[in-house]
Amino acid sequence: MSPSTSALAEQEPFPWLYPYREDPQHTRLDQPILRPFVQVSLVNGDESTTMLDGLVDTGADAILASDLLADLLGIDLAEHEGQTQHAIGGRTHLARYKTISLRLHPHDGEIDEYREWHAQVGFIEDWHSYSFVLLGSVGFLDRWTVTASRFAQAIAVEQRETFDNRFGLVEAA
Amino acid sequence: MEPIRTDFRGYEGQYVATDARTGKIVIADEDPRIVLEKAKGRNHVVVRGRVPHADEPIYVGLG
Repeated sequence: MSPSTSALAEQEPFPWLYPYREDPQHTRLDQPILRPFVQVSLVNGDESTTMLDGLVDTGADAILASDLLADLLGIDLAEHEGQTQHAIGGRTHLARYKTISLRLHPHDGEIDEYREWHAQVGFIEDWHSYSFVLLGSVGFLDRWTVTASRFAQAIAVEQRETFDNRFGLVEAA
Repeated sequence: MEPIRTDFRGYEGQYVATDARTGKIVIADEDPRIVLEKAKGRNHVVVRGRVPHADEPIYVGLG
């Protein structure tokens, strides 16, 4: 399924660039912690969240989010599509998965400009001790080509075909 | 690009939302629901998360 776009605003062409953002956590070795966040919102039918920081995490296999967001979206997690235990921060958490829509917004947080796609999100109980959304491989990195550079202090999001167009079809040796 | 910086001092223990363009905190509350509700529908406002206290450990990712 091709990502849909907002009909309300003229779409800025890809790539969409996102400057790294300072993390609310404290400094490490007296330096600010800058992380690769993109702005997303979650949608279920007529309900949507506000824009949220989504942490791009190439080491995560799924999109994970706080179940507080599911509650706000009116999602009944008792009718989940599957559940898995995840180990996060030395603790185990139960993620209950539902397929919903997500919107990617540009870095300036223009609320009416977005690219929308569908993905399975694992909602984790009481998981908002720090933030709300983690964007992993299945559902995010298989939908977009994401280039991150801490040197440039920015990440670029493009259509998923861009990787193959740039590097060719990568095959195992 | 220049990173978006935010001065989180004074907001420890609170959930915050910032202006996506400047990084300035525009909403803060200890209850995440209140921040999510106040931020809803506001252009350029993005909910960031909770500002930890100084004695809390640094998460590798979201923790």
